[in-house]
Amino acid sequence: MSTVRLLPSENIKIVDKQMDWKEAISLAAKPLLENNNISQVYIDNMIESVEVNGPYMVLNDYFALLHAKPGVGVNEQGMSLMVTKDEIDMLGKPIKIFLVLAAENSDSHLKNLQKLMDIFMNEQNYQDILKGDKKRINKIFG
Amino acid sequence: MKILAVCGFGVGSSMVLKMSLDKVVKELGIDATVENTDISTAKATDADVYFTSHELLPELQESTKNPVYPIKKYMDTAEVKEKLNEYLSEKG
Repeated sequence: MSTVRLLPSENIKIVDKQMDWKEAISLAAKPLLENNNISQVYIDNMIESVEVNGPYMVLNDYFALLHAKPGVGVNEQGMSLMVTKDEIDMLGKPIKIFLVLAAENSDSHLKNLQKLMDIFMNEQNYQDILKGDKKRINKIFG
Repeated sequence: MKILAVCGFGVGSSMVLKMSLDKVVKELGIDATVENTDISTAKATDADVYFTSHELLPELQESTKNPVYPIKKYMDTAEVKEKLNEYLSEKG
């Protein structure tokens, strides 16, 4: 499966709005909820996971990979991306890139996630995503 | 050498940490396999060295005698490299 299907443009959002990290997670996951990939339970579990385990899913400056337990509240695997213009505080860590991962089981999504993370691990791509240029971002994931 | 990358659910963050570790292992030319898993499985899995987050560090340290290194930013290969080198020099 290509990353085009993994992260379609309707699952990518650039947002210029003040909000707290819980609202940010909900908003970032909204396309997956609307497409019925996940139910509200999955969003609640992601928020709970941050509260319980701390913001360990912050993988780089300004970048959070959000996910909860695979299969619970997940109908179909999917990913969505939200980039905010202003940084949002997640328990002490500033975030601008919210990548939501919904997995059906522990390994179904790995190849896709790996492809996507290869993109994020490229410094130029990363800086472009961080800037929140929708055209450029769509091109990166196109 | 067996290296284990650990996160809360073993699906996302630990896989990214594994990708960083794989890159560093290749760069340093070490003979090692890197696997990733969730914290509960990790506690029952033997490895020569473990890498995880600061948040999960105490829980993992309790269940193994082998060294556990905390990584702040899983995508930061420079940090991962520094910690892996630390392990290699302490191991001797």
